[in-house]
Amino acid sequence: MKLPRKKLTASVPAFAMGDIGFLLLIFFVILARAQDDSHIQWQPAQLADLKMAAAPLASVAIDSGFKVYLDGKEISSDELAGSLTSVLGEAPAGQRNVFLKVHKEAQASHFEPVIAAISEAGGDLVHILEPEETSPKR
Amino acid sequence: MKLKRGKMLIDPPASASSDIAFILIIFFLVCAAVQPETGLSQVLPKTEEKKEQQEQSKNIEVSITPTSIVLDGSPLQLPEFTRRLNAALQKKTRETDRVVVVKSAPNTPYPIWIRVSQVIEQAGGILTLELESKRTITVE
Repeated sequence: MKLPRKKLTASVPAFAMGDIGFLLLIFFVILARAQDDSHIQWQPAQLADLKMAAAPLASVAIDSGFKVYLDGKEISSDELAGSLTSVLGEAPAGQRNVFLKVHKEAQASHFEPVIAAISEAGGDLVHILEPEETSPKR
Repeated sequence: MKLKRGKMLIDPPASASSDIAFILIIFFLVCAAVQPETGLSQVLPKTEEKKEQQEQSKNIEVSITPTSIVLDGSPLQLPEFTRRLNAALQKKTRETDRVVVVKSAPNTPYPIWIRVSQVIEQAGGILTLELESKRTITVE
């Protein structure tokens, strides 16, 4: 004897569509941040009279171990110019911003070859720094 | 005569509170990630090798060491350097004369270097780095 099986229909509630869409949007926004270099350990130097930096095409960092990174991936100083040239592509002048994040204990022997490579690739160099803390007036 | 108004209490469904918390976490994460960064933009001439060693320019030359800043041969501290550089650049009208050649000792710390380069930019100088190129010499 055959027993009749009840058909179960599962429907997605329509009022949840907004939430799902919003979560998907945020998910793709985070994924799009391909230049993520938040894992790099570095401390910025302090300087007065800084300006807000415009969005970069590439980000170069020198960490506390004085290793060089391009967009979060470790690279040697010698390869940097070539890789940067391909990242910057044919972007017009003024829109070729390259962020340079140098650990405050780095020395000229570490950061000067990197600056030279950015210059060779035709990047618009922006040093990422921390605004200097002014001592409170008494 | 006063009419009694019935109280209408609408509780948000408890099952939605986890969704709300999750969305709030993501919102603050994204806000923290896209925090604007402050920096100092620097215009550098394109890297090129110096062809003629004998071609002595009349550009201002600055040497940076961990302890001092040398401007055209005189060792100075930052305030005095700023004053003298401003005075020297005020006399220069052509853009090509405003080039400031910077040579740093290998152990120059970044905070000192960036401070000096900011002074040069603020004085209207065009910062140019002089780097020593690596050469491998085999001695037989």
